[in-house]
Order: sequence, then structure tokens, then C-alpha cells
Amino acid sequence: MSSKINGHVSPQPCPHLLDFRFRNGPKPFRALHDCIRVKPPGGRAAIRREPSEVPRCGTCEESSRSRLYACVACAAVFCHAPLLHSHASDHALSIPGHEIAVDVDRAELFCCACGDQVYDRDFDAAVVLAQTVNATATTSTSGSTAMQCSVAGSQPENLRKRRRVDYRPWEPDSGEHISRGNQSIPLLDATNASLVSSTQQPWGLRGLNNLGNTCFMNSILQALLHTPPLRNYFLGDRHNRYYCQQKNGAINGTKNSRLCLACDMDAIFSAVFSGDRTPYSPAKFLYSWWQHAANLASYEQQDAHEFFISMLEGIHEKVEKDKRKSQSPARQVTKVIVFSLTLINAELASALRFRTAGLMMSTALLLIPSSNKIDPAGGGDCCIAHRVFSGILRSDVMCMVCGFTSTTYDPCVDISLDLEPNQGGSGKSSSAKSLNSCNVEADCMHPNQNGGISTLNGCLERFTRAEKLGSDQKFFCQKCQVRQESLKQMSIRKLPLVSCFHVKRFEHSSIRKMSRKVDRFLQFPFSLDMAPYLSSSILRSRFGNRIFPFDGDEQDASNDLSTEFELFAVVTHSGRLDAGHYVTYLRLSNQWYKCDDAWITPVNESIVRAAQGYMMFYVQKVLYYKESENQGTS
Amino acid sequence: MTRKHSVNRPPTPDGAEDQGNEPILQEIINIKLIESGEKERLMEMLRERLIECGWKDEMKALCRAYVKKKGRNNVTVDDLVHLITPKGRASVPDSVKAELLQRIRSFLTSAAL
Repeated sequence: MSSKINGHVSPQPCPHLLDFRFRNGPKPFRALHDCIRVKPPGGRAAIRREPSEVPRCGTCEESSRSRLYACVACAAVFCHAPLLHSHASDHALSIPGHEIAVDVDRAELFCCACGDQVYDRDFDAAVVLAQTVNATATTSTSGSTAMQCSVAGSQPENLRKRRRVDYRPWEPDSGEHISRGNQSIPLLDATNASLVSSTQQPWGLRGLNNLGNTCFMNSILQALLHTPPLRNYFLGDRHNRYYCQQKNGAINGTKNSRLCLACDMDAIFSAVFSGDRTPYSPAKFLYSWWQHAANLASYEQQDAHEFFISMLEGIHEKVEKDKRKSQSPARQVTKVIVFSLTLINAELASALRFRTAGLMMSTALLLIPSSNKIDPAGGGDCCIAHRVFSGILRSDVMCMVCGFTSTTYDPCVDISLDLEPNQGGSGKSSSAKSLNSCNVEADCMHPNQNGGISTLNGCLERFTRAEKLGSDQKFFCQKCQVRQESLKQMSIRKLPLVSCFHVKRFEHSSIRKMSRKVDRFLQFPFSLDMAPYLSSSILRSRFGNRIFPFDGDEQDASNDLSTEFELFAVVTHSGRLDAGHYVTYLRLSNQWYKCDDAWITPVNESIVRAAQGYMMFYVQKVLYYKESENQGTS
Repeated sequence: MTRKHSVNRPPTPDGAEDQGNEPILQEIINIKLIESGEKERLMEMLRERLIECGWKDEMKALCRAYVKKKGRNNVTVDDLVHLITPKGRASVPDSVKAELLQRIRSFLTSAAL
């Protein structure tokens, strides 16, 4: 079969077809035209001598075969199942000239001698005509010549499927033309056209000045500036900083009314996508963020992940306050609990320096047992930050004595993954070490998955593995009414639009009472399929492949959007725990760019693959679709 | 005295009829399904489900891989059918099978009345 059906490549006829056409005159399939029946739902064309005919094989009298063919020469119907028996082939071989047949259910020509589909322009044109006549519901013109549809017949394959409208790129009509001219400023006019096109860099690439150990902020900002849904939201003027401030100023005239992280984000988006290539200083944003996260306001080095969480909270808080004032406290408590629990689990709290005290105190205050049953559908509609990043994690804790399982759902904005403990076996550790030593140009294309190399998929698999809670962490089982040993398993109930994976590169050794950074290399894929980590997959593997009712609308969560993700930003860290540097790698139009504060350079993808990932940002593939195309002229 | 070849014997059945004159149950059901138009509706529903669950895309991918391997001029429809029939039958999701069976069952109960 030719792949360019709509182009001008048509498949060559087989010798039997040529012979048939030669022998039977200019319109060999004329007789079939009257037998084309089109079934209204979907417009499938079938071949029936009478409209209500039930075709059956002339040899074996079976009508329930899946492939029945009618010989074009003698109109006899036969079945064709090459493995069992093919009465169609028998017929074709027994009588010369009867090799060509037509599939009665699909109206497609078939050569029984070659065992392959064949194509005839006139016949296909007649089928198309019959289908279009049926679709437009005009009076029957099936008696008209087949030549009429030669115009439409140039794309027979396209119309065989359901009716589709041909793609036409959007053009503004006259009214839209005028309003476009009046209210818009051309991005590419004579003054900056040369500026932009000469460098051939895609839109939105602009360096960010380091304002004093702010590489943690710059790296996250660069990643967020190119998060497709977030970028579209702000560039689409969904949060207009001029209108927002006016509103805030009118409602409460306190100092805090000026603080809106979303407005500052909007300002950064406008600045970065303006086409100006000189590095930008996000000073206003930094100031706003200091006001929001007062305990982190200093010129000390900060953790990028912490900043990320705090920033999302900031955007959420401000938008929440505007909308639903009554609900915001509960949401914030829940969120901070999740945040602080991940902190404690990661032992990050002790790894970070002076801020430890502040964080531990605030988390202790907030460890109020809240209701575990959080609305599974929640966490998505409150603000753009959650709409983009918020997913839902499911946690099943099963009592090992009685089997009672307690399930909880928690919203999350990212997933923090443990690095696997050193897997270095006998000979495999050498490969892992060699990768650590070479930092640049490491072309590690085919690492052995089961060797000493940690992969993102491996970390995810560990994350969703059933874990036995040790004897010192016994869970209170509601059925047994005592604390029992339990099995805990995490899975993802709802995938966010953008998945952020945070690698816990901090190790705390209680023996030596110190923390250190784990530099081990983690291999991460450019395309990621999250299907095996969804709750539906995890549960299925627990119970086997069965149909059983999920609680709630479990199936909707996984069927809603696809599970394939594409990598678009990587935040890397180099250095020690207390002194290091963050760099972001961005993927635009399938080209990688290294964003090191104010310096942006295109790099080869092998460098990205070899980089030490700290946070990886994946977006749903359906939202990333256009990215791979060249955006130069669009 | 009976003769071996009596003229009153019924005519010798020819090859096409050795299945028996009575159409078997499967045939009756099939004809009933077609006549009422139910088979067409079931086929449409099945096509929809198989597309939704990605089965069609999987099979398409298998075919594409095969054609890529063999070269596009060396592949026939029969090859492809032979290739994907076992895998296709095995990978139909249970929910689709169950739904189809349920529809057929309800059709049978309504048609029998």
C-alpha cells in the first residue's frame, strides 16, 4: 500500500487486474456500480445485489465469515481465510479471468491470485460518488456517469473514512483584519525585524540577570516561561496586570494589595517575549516573592525546588483570595501539609541550613490531622498554577494481618523521587562511575537498564512499588483496631498537564550527623509514558487483568488525557549542598538551549542527556505537539 | 424382499448439503442480526470502542512496523491479516468483549419474544 494516497502516488495494478481490464473493455466494473450500497451511519460502502441480501459463500454456505468476496466476473460469492481455506482462491485458480473479486463488506477490490488488494480508479471513483451522494442526501443520481466524480475522485481514500473537512489555515475576514490593525502592535515590524530574524532564535529566549545568588530563581523562571500551558495563559492575556492591580487597589488599600505574583509573572512574560534579547532583571518579581516568603528573603543561596513550591503557592494564594475567601485557609493548610510531609520524608529539613528551624516550626504547627478524604477532583480549578501542575496521588495502605486497605487521595504539584541506593554490583559499578567523571560530551545513548545506572523510570517504579512499613511505623488498622504492620503503595490517580519531577539529591547520615549531596547520575528520557504508574495500572497489576469496578470514576481520570509526556525543561545543579549553581536546559523546536543566568547558548542534546538532573519538567504530549515544528514564520 | 436400490429412496444428497438442511443456530442468529440491522449497529459500536481504547492504533503500529521491515512493495493484505489476527484477537480489552456480549444477549432476549 502506498503511503501517499492523497498525493499522486497510485499503486501499480497487478498483472491479473491489467489482464481483466484489457479483456473487459473500458468500464469493467460498471455492473458493480449498481450494487454499491451505502449504510447511513458512517457512510460505509458495501456490495449487495439486493439491498437486504445476506451474502454467503458459494462453497461452504457460511455467511458469518469475516471476509467474503464476490467475483467480479461471475458475481459468485466466496469466503477467504487464507489459513483455513480460501474458496475465493479456489475459484480464482480454477477459472482463468476470475481472479479479481470485491470485498462485499468494504467495497474494495482484491486479487485472489496475488492475495492482495488492488485499486482501480474508476471503481473507487464510483464508490466515492455513491458515498457523497448518500452523505449529501440529494436525490439518487447513481445513474449518472462515473466521470462526474473524477473531480472528487482525486482523493478517494480520504473520503472513504467519515466525512472530514479539509484543513484550511485561518485567514482573517475583513472585519477581523481591521480590528487586528487597530488594536495590535506588530511584533515583526521594520525596526526589530532585523533584530529577531538575524539571530534566528525562537521567541521567548532571554537571559535573566543574577541579582545576587538568584540562580535558583532564574532557573525555575526559565522553566516556567516555557511551560506551554502557563506560557499560553499569560501570553493570552488571561491575567492582565493592569486590570488586576486596579481591582486590588480598589478593594483594600493596604500594602498587600500591590502584591500579586501572577501580575509580576505577567510582566516577566511580556518582557521576555518582547523580542528584546538583552538580559532582563526580574527585580520586581524578586521583591514580591520576598514579601510573600518572608523567611526566605535574603541573598543567601536557596533551593530551587523550595522556590518552585513557594511560587506556586504565591500565585494560588493571590488568585484564591480574589475568588473564594472562605475556602482559602483550608486549601492552604492542606497544601502546606503535603509540602511539609515531603520535606520530612526527604530529610531535607535537616539538610538545609538555618532555615531548618523556621520550617520545622511552621510544619509542627500545621500537623493538624485534617480530613483525609480530599475531593479527588479538587486542586485543579482554583488558579492557573494548579490547573497546570496539580495532579492527584493515591496512597493505599494495606494491613498485612487482615488485608483491610485504606485509600487516600492527595493533591500534589510535583513528585519527589528518591535516588536509588547505589546499585553498583560487581562489574557494573564501573560504568556508573565513569559516567559521573565525564561531565561533558558523554554520549550515553544505550545504558543497560539493569546495570548500575539509575533511570527516571526506575525511580518512578520505586515510587509506586509496594513498600513495607517497618515495625516502627505501624499503621493503625481500622478493622483490627490495633497498630499493625502494613504495606503502602503510591500511584498516580490523575496526571497533571505538566509533571515536575524533583530528585532528592540530599542524603542525611544520622551516624555522622551531616548531610551531603548525592551526585549520582540519573538518566532521564526525552519522552515519557506515565501509563504504568497510574492507579489503574498499579491496581490492575495487583489483581490481575480483570474487569472490576473502581471506586468513584477512576477510569475517567486515566482516560481523560493521554499518558505520554515530552521533556521540555531540565534544571540542573552543580556544586555542593551549600554552594552551587543552577542551570536550566530548555527544549524549543527540538533544539536545546542552555540558560545560565544571562547567557543563553544552543547546545547539543548529548550534553543535556549527560547533565545532572535535579528537576525535570514534562508536558503532556498533546500540548507539545506543535513545538517540534519550525516556528520561524508562524 | 427389499431390493438394495429402491426407486423410492430419497435422492442422494450432494456435497453442498452435507451440513444438514437445517441451518444451525449460529446461522439463524447471524441472519436475525443482519436483518434487523443490529449487526451493523454492533459493528459500529465495536469500531468505536476499539478506536477509543487504542486497539486500532496498536494494530496500525504493528502493521507499519511490519511493512517497514519487509518493504512496502513486498507486503500483501493477507500477510497483514495473518500477522495481526492472533495478536488482535488476544488484545481486545475485556470490557469491550463484555459490552458486546451484553448487547448480543439483550438482542437475543428481545428477538426471541
